[in-house]
Amino acid sequence: MKVDVEMGGGSPKLLERKQAVYRNLDEGYEIHGEKYKGQQYSHIYFTRLHYMRNLLYSLVPKWKPNLPVNTVLGLEEEKECIIAGTMYKHMKLKPSILDEYSKERSKVPLVKPHNFVHPDDHLILEDESGRVKLAGSLLDPSAFVTGIVVALHGKETSEGKFFVLDMLEAGLPPQIEQPPSSTEDKYVVFVSGLSIGSSTFNPLQFQLLVDHITGHLGDENEQTIASQIVHFIIAGNSVQILQGLLNGQTIAPRDQAALTEPIKELDILLNQLAAAMPVDIMPGPSDPANFSLPQQPLNRCLFPGASAYNTFISCTNPHQFELDDIRFLGTSGQNIDDLFKYSEAKNKLEFMERTLRWRHLVPTAPNTLGCYPFTDKDPFLIESCPHVYFVGNQDKFETTLLRGSDNQSVRLICIPKFCETGVAVMLNLRNLECHPLCFSTSLNV
Amino acid sequence: MASGDIRGFYRQKKKQQKGGITKSVSASKKKKPSKSGGGATLGATDPQTPALFAHSAFDLTDDYGEDEERLRQFDTDMRYGPCIGLTRLQRWERAFSMGLHPPADLRNLLSCASGPKSPDLECLWEGRV
Repeated sequence: MKVDVEMGGGSPKLLERKQAVYRNLDEGYEIHGEKYKGQQYSHIYFTRLHYMRNLLYSLVPKWKPNLPVNTVLGLEEEKECIIAGTMYKHMKLKPSILDEYSKERSKVPLVKPHNFVHPDDHLILEDESGRVKLAGSLLDPSAFVTGIVVALHGKETSEGKFFVLDMLEAGLPPQIEQPPSSTEDKYVVFVSGLSIGSSTFNPLQFQLLVDHITGHLGDENEQTIASQIVHFIIAGNSVQILQGLLNGQTIAPRDQAALTEPIKELDILLNQLAAAMPVDIMPGPSDPANFSLPQQPLNRCLFPGASAYNTFISCTNPHQFELDDIRFLGTSGQNIDDLFKYSEAKNKLEFMERTLRWRHLVPTAPNTLGCYPFTDKDPFLIESCPHVYFVGNQDKFETTLLRGSDNQSVRLICIPKFCETGVAVMLNLRNLECHPLCFSTSLNV
Repeated sequence: MASGDIRGFYRQKKKQQKGGITKSVSASKKKKPSKSGGGATLGATDPQTPALFAHSAFDLTDDYGEDEERLRQFDTDMRYGPCIGLTRLQRWERAFSMGLHPPADLRNLLSCASGPKSPDLECLWEGRV
């Protein structure tokens, strides 16, 4: 992958693109040979509780060594103890399918609010023996969601509730030590929310991005930087298909073209990118992939041009990989968007931090986010802390460096929607620093 | 209503014993295809067929043996998680890989299942719920 540079008056200088060692770690998210036999979601919760509870039990002796550990059914009144279980948040405004069948007009409006948090929400802890309501002011329900596993120190009150005195979360998982930083700069570019086919897509803007990255734009400095880009990640929502066409009726021939146009356009652009560098494309909520998580890779038949290149990699959502021994973990945004609907935090980065502390990538699945009913595993448990954690399709670019108690260090990145902001994100592998790449086509700056 | 004639209320007929009370233990283990389910069933003239009422205790088990009983205990054991939606062998494998130490002989029972006397490969509730 060489880039020709024409210096003023001199002979063309050849810049060679750098490369990084890539290792795909998506096996846990791929659904191979799983046959749906009508099972329900209880198995996911069972495996999640079993794994997380064993983990918490191993952490309890360091946290509060002298207290007994009980199951929920083994609680005794006024006796301080520790229980561990899955948290359930009872939410007043959470839409329920049964509301459609209720005869009386309910207070809940049919128009869904963006956020279902209500001051009356309360928390319940559940394990396989039973559930108990949580009382006390230590835990603010708006910071929690259904599906996380925690350990609680407290005692049972006379009302039968559990008064919480302290809480233990699993905390950031152990991290493989980062390789010693190399001397050369290597960059990874993230983009998401291209939404080709929607009214907000600006083809010139994305073409600018492609040309810049492949080294067809700019002077020698710019091209030198472009030659240091080793990988390109598209984090979901690359196409947007007109919803009006997908109403279950047969599509007229003239509308069939409207269905396939966005994907063809994406293929042309991916072709240009794949010819220049390794490209990972992840499916998002609006892409032609399955709805429930983990989303399976977009079919290579959709991209006849780009899939001819071995640099083109279609990945699952969530996506996990390693570049030069630096571990990346990311999603197309569904996990954080769902947390945003059912809990509150000061920004999206805080939601991301919480998922790492709870050691679960998608805690609200399968409660409010569609998920495949696995019977023998929960693939969203985070066992090893990534070095870079990214989430796509957010409103704006945000980043921070999160430090853990065990010397972990994670770069959190919120990738904004490109169709709305024109911003892509560039990450330097040498020091994990991040900066935005802004592309604008409007003449008034 | 007065207590009346209890004997007339429950028709008790000492009919010819199919298996005999003394032989009831082996009779209950033999597969009886004519019986449709255990206890008082459609078409039974007695509320409790004599073969079930043995040794002054209600024999509420169906025609299944001790192996099936142990497998049903395995199905309903909470430690190994939910049982619906998995075959028993899959559930045993899951319990084993999670380190829960399920009894090893159950696996032998399930993997060499063949013939009419074999235990059911599906869990207790399969097809019933």
